[in-house]
Amino acid sequence: MSPAQKKKFPQKDCSSSTMKRVRPVPKAAPALQPPPKANKKPNATKPFVSVAIARAPSTTIGKSNGRPSASITPKRPLKQQSNSLEHGEDSDDEEFGDVTIDMGSDEEGDDDSEQEGDDEDFEDEEDFEGSGNDEQEVFPIGEDDDEKSEVNSAGREEDGSETEEDDYMPGDSLDEEELKEEDLEKVAMSNDNGAYKKKLLPEIDPVYDSDSSTEDVTNTVGNIPLEWYNDYPHIGYDLDGKKVLRPAKGDELEKFLATMDDPDTWRSVTDREGKEVVLNDEELDIIRRLQEGAIPDAGYDPYEPTVEWFTSKVEVMPLTAKPEPKRRFVPSKWEAKTIMKIVRAIREGRIVPRKTTAQKPSYYNLWTNDDKPREDHIMHIPAPKMRLPEHDESYNPPAEYLPTEKERQEWEATDREDRPRNYLPMKYSSLRSVPAYNRFIQERFERCLDLYLAPRVRKNRACIPSCYYLYSFGRILSTISHNTTTFLFYWNQQLNIDPESLIPKLPSPKDLQPFPSTLSLTFIGHTNRIRCFSIDPTGLYLLSGSDDNTLRMWEITTGRCLHTWNVDDIVHFVAWNPNRDLWCFAASVGHGRVVVISPPEACSPELAAVTDVYLRAGFAPIQGSVDGEKDKAVKWAKPTEQEEEDGYRLVIQHSQSVKQITWHRKGDYFATVAPDAQNLAVLIHQTTKHQTQSPFKKLKGLVQRALFHPIKPIFFVATQRYVRVYNLMKQELVKTLQTGVKWVSSLDIHPGGRRQCHYWELLQTVMLVRYGFVFNFV
Amino acid sequence: MSQEEVTQVQVRFVTQQRKYAVIDSAILVPARLKRYGLSEIVNHLLGSENPVPFDFLIEGQFLRTSLSEYLENAGLSTENLITIEYVESMLPPTPMSSFQHDDWISSVKGFSQHSLFLTGSYDNYVRIWNTSGECVSTFRDHTAPVKDVAWLEVDETQATCLSASQDQSVLAWQYSFSSDDQTVLYECKGHKASVESVAVDPSKQHFATASWDSTIKIWTSSIPTEDETDYVEDARHKRRKTHKTDDRKSKSAASTLEGHVGPVSSVVFDSQDANALYSGGWDHSVRIWDVEQRVNVSTKVMTNHDVNTNRIQNCEKVVYGIAHSPHSKLLASGHADKTVRLWDPRADDVTVVKLTLISHTLWVPTVSWSPTSAYMLVSGSYDGTCKLWDIRSKAPVYTIAAPLVAKGEATKKVFTVDWEGERILSGGEDCQLRIHSAKM
Repeated sequence: MSPAQKKKFPQKDCSSSTMKRVRPVPKAAPALQPPPKANKKPNATKPFVSVAIARAPSTTIGKSNGRPSASITPKRPLKQQSNSLEHGEDSDDEEFGDVTIDMGSDEEGDDDSEQEGDDEDFEDEEDFEGSGNDEQEVFPIGEDDDEKSEVNSAGREEDGSETEEDDYMPGDSLDEEELKEEDLEKVAMSNDNGAYKKKLLPEIDPVYDSDSSTEDVTNTVGNIPLEWYNDYPHIGYDLDGKKVLRPAKGDELEKFLATMDDPDTWRSVTDREGKEVVLNDEELDIIRRLQEGAIPDAGYDPYEPTVEWFTSKVEVMPLTAKPEPKRRFVPSKWEAKTIMKIVRAIREGRIVPRKTTAQKPSYYNLWTNDDKPREDHIMHIPAPKMRLPEHDESYNPPAEYLPTEKERQEWEATDREDRPRNYLPMKYSSLRSVPAYNRFIQERFERCLDLYLAPRVRKNRACIPSCYYLYSFGRILSTISHNTTTFLFYWNQQLNIDPESLIPKLPSPKDLQPFPSTLSLTFIGHTNRIRCFSIDPTGLYLLSGSDDNTLRMWEITTGRCLHTWNVDDIVHFVAWNPNRDLWCFAASVGHGRVVVISPPEACSPELAAVTDVYLRAGFAPIQGSVDGEKDKAVKWAKPTEQEEEDGYRLVIQHSQSVKQITWHRKGDYFATVAPDAQNLAVLIHQTTKHQTQSPFKKLKGLVQRALFHPIKPIFFVATQRYVRVYNLMKQELVKTLQTGVKWVSSLDIHPGGRRQCHYWELLQTVMLVRYGFVFNFV
Repeated sequence: MSQEEVTQVQVRFVTQQRKYAVIDSAILVPARLKRYGLSEIVNHLLGSENPVPFDFLIEGQFLRTSLSEYLENAGLSTENLITIEYVESMLPPTPMSSFQHDDWISSVKGFSQHSLFLTGSYDNYVRIWNTSGECVSTFRDHTAPVKDVAWLEVDETQATCLSASQDQSVLAWQYSFSSDDQTVLYECKGHKASVESVAVDPSKQHFATASWDSTIKIWTSSIPTEDETDYVEDARHKRRKTHKTDDRKSKSAASTLEGHVGPVSSVVFDSQDANALYSGGWDHSVRIWDVEQRVNVSTKVMTNHDVNTNRIQNCEKVVYGIAHSPHSKLLASGHADKTVRLWDPRADDVTVVKLTLISHTLWVPTVSWSPTSAYMLVSGSYDGTCKLWDIRSKAPVYTIAAPLVAKGEATKKVFTVDWEGERILSGGEDCQLRIHSAKM
């Protein structure tokens, strides 16, 4: 395709679209033409057929049935139209291709060519729509062009032909023949392509041949009564003024012979001009139908269901497959300008939002009463209702209700507040003689005061007793004085709790197994109260400290005392070093003496050597490096030679007696608890460096126990009532656990570090028996 | 009329002891008869001059009641024909003698051919006793309580024995009867905790030791020519071991079996197969080892007790003592839950306990099979008693009563028991080596 052709096709579209607009076809044959869409839709292949038929008259007109066709002349433009419609499609394609490319770039830049470009665009749209849906003119329902495009298109319609001529390229030498050939090519092309078949459909009306209205037009002698020429050899005159001769007729014999020879005799008729016409089957069928009074068109179904092509329903999918026009993608500049104007005005403050005036109710319901159901709320208590009147309040009560004189005096004698009723039954002869109640306003006022001053609030007691009983269920909440009557509001406190459910559920002993149920072994040897014991990390040996001034190490499985240390004071606490690679324990002896002992028993030489090195490591730098304050707190010392022989490795002197020693998991640090030492109650010692630090400047309460978390750098300090959790890394209090008991005596943590267990005062006594026990845990 | 009163039962007497076989035909006996009456009948049938006491088994269980009661309990009618197996009854153990020690006895082993007893004690000494109650020899080289002793080889002139101690070493001693001198052959070092048990394999080529460091070590019994380990001279220990001889050879383990996850309390070789080793530990498992392959062939593992399933058959308790029977090929183990359990080491099933013997009231640290019978074993317990069991019966056959203690004092624990020949040796907290006769 040459550029010239390309250029030309849109212009042809313009002309065709103009022609289409003035085409009167739908009006001419409304009955026989099926509804346009119905025609268009069912068979998409029809356009090509129709084109062929439309072309047929010009070439094969003589061949068909010799009917002169007056529609030849108008058919050319129609055909052109049809072809140019295709071109229109093609050009649309191209145009839209351009558009799609140009989509990104807005046309705002070129203001000069804007109008022109708009024109072109709208032309395209018109072409497009016209080719796709011709009936838009006839049924302009689906028209959704904005004003601008309508105006433009209207203007274009008028000068459509002009533009057509104007836009012909200079030197364009295409004549009609070439154009027709090209049209044919285009038809073939589009046929091959199969694209936009539907749009070729329209009114290239193939049905002109069979249209009965056109038969009159085929008359070449003119529309005159033929009987005028009954006496003449000719039957009329053609366009050139020459006589049209009556066709020759044979005599009756010839006619008969011809009848006998010709099998089609029965279906041949003579037309007005005397020519014989053989009716084909369809025509015969039409005749038959006419005779029967039926609709002549066999393919026409008068009762086919109506299809409402244009309804108010918005289809989800568009009925046409046409591509979206460009304007759908391009935001409307006009709207943008309008909006920007408003936006600017709002920004500059020229447009101020309308002030909403609060709508005040002009009147309110005077009679709103509290009978109106309120929304259900647990805290809501409805106001107590006034008592309904009884028989004795009647103006004419039965005689038995009337008070006697004595009752009347009694009533009058009592104080107003104490009267059981605030009235005396009175008898009147009629209602109109009843006087006004003189205390009405006063009583109403009192009731309002009652309701207002005695708030009906449900107070749920927050203290669900932590002990195992509830002390009171019924409680007086408030008293409301109403007239002389006193209402007492009793209610159950809504604590509908089964007291049994408050008792903590004790697990069955079976679930607690291994449960120490049997005394298996007794370690005999101590002669006084045993204060403490500790099991070594391997679980093989047991240490016990006693008031008999001895510290004993036992073999757990047999109960054999392996070693006895004679310390000269009470042993308060012993704790094995939890590190398996070390072999030592710490014991608190007497008044603040903490000794670290590495037992010579049951220890391999290697382990003993390692422990020795570990414990003695701090002795070298100790002198001078410790400042005075720390010296004051504790004093690190070497054991004497004799003690060393017995396993003593370190001696740390505290100011007060140490009640507990707890090791860190790694065995380097251990903490001592001396409850009486005030702010030095908790000290953390490092065995390798022989250093002591006091982690707390001030401590509230008597410290009972301290504990290292087995995994995390967390330190627990239990005072009598609270357990405080400190983070050793950040040196801060993490949280305070409130135990709710009077005396926390012991504290332990699950070895996995997940749970803490508290053992309260009751359990403390378990250890304070003369012998240490090993229960059957193993 | 009297015949109607006496219910009679049809019985058939069978026995596996050929010399006591009687005619294999059903006879009618009164249902009220007990063991003694039945024994009289059998003796009468045998026609023996000296009555032999018999015990009677019905369906593998000892008859401890009268026949009629048995039938009643079993829900059987007197019409049934009962097959009664009878075996020669074991005489009750009678105390023969007791040898006083200075301290608790942790271990005892007897040697029947020479009537020698080897004891290890908590006073760090190992002693050899003869039947007349003389302490033939005392080895004093241990520095900590001796936990287990074993005979290695005994012949006419000399005896070699092993002793495992809490000082983490095993010493091999040689005692010459003729010259009455004793020497330490070698010292086995390597364990990192107290050595709890020592066992010698049937071929006397190897011995195994079990320690609280949760390992089992296998040693050769050959005498080393030179020190095999670098002995760490610890200053402290050097100072303390003043009597330590320098000529003592140290020996290193031939192999180490690791697998126990807790202290190993007991180890024993299979009485026939020198390659099979059994061990029990605090990790609730009885393990079977292949000595040559050094692998744990099978583990009779006893995991934590599942309360929900309540599998009482499985042992979920610490194993303290273990013994293997040469006749029944069964393994007996003493547990901390006061029971003695029997295992079949040949069974594939990991958890099946063949039998659980419950009668002791405290931990059972030691068990010993009868050297002659496939059914008899003896167990010693912390409750001070030793009990003789016939595994065909769930109740103990005889109980050797605990030594008397003053009121209020705890019972004297029994730490060791050994059934050797026709004697049952036991020792414990009462510092007495008790010898009971146990004649079948």
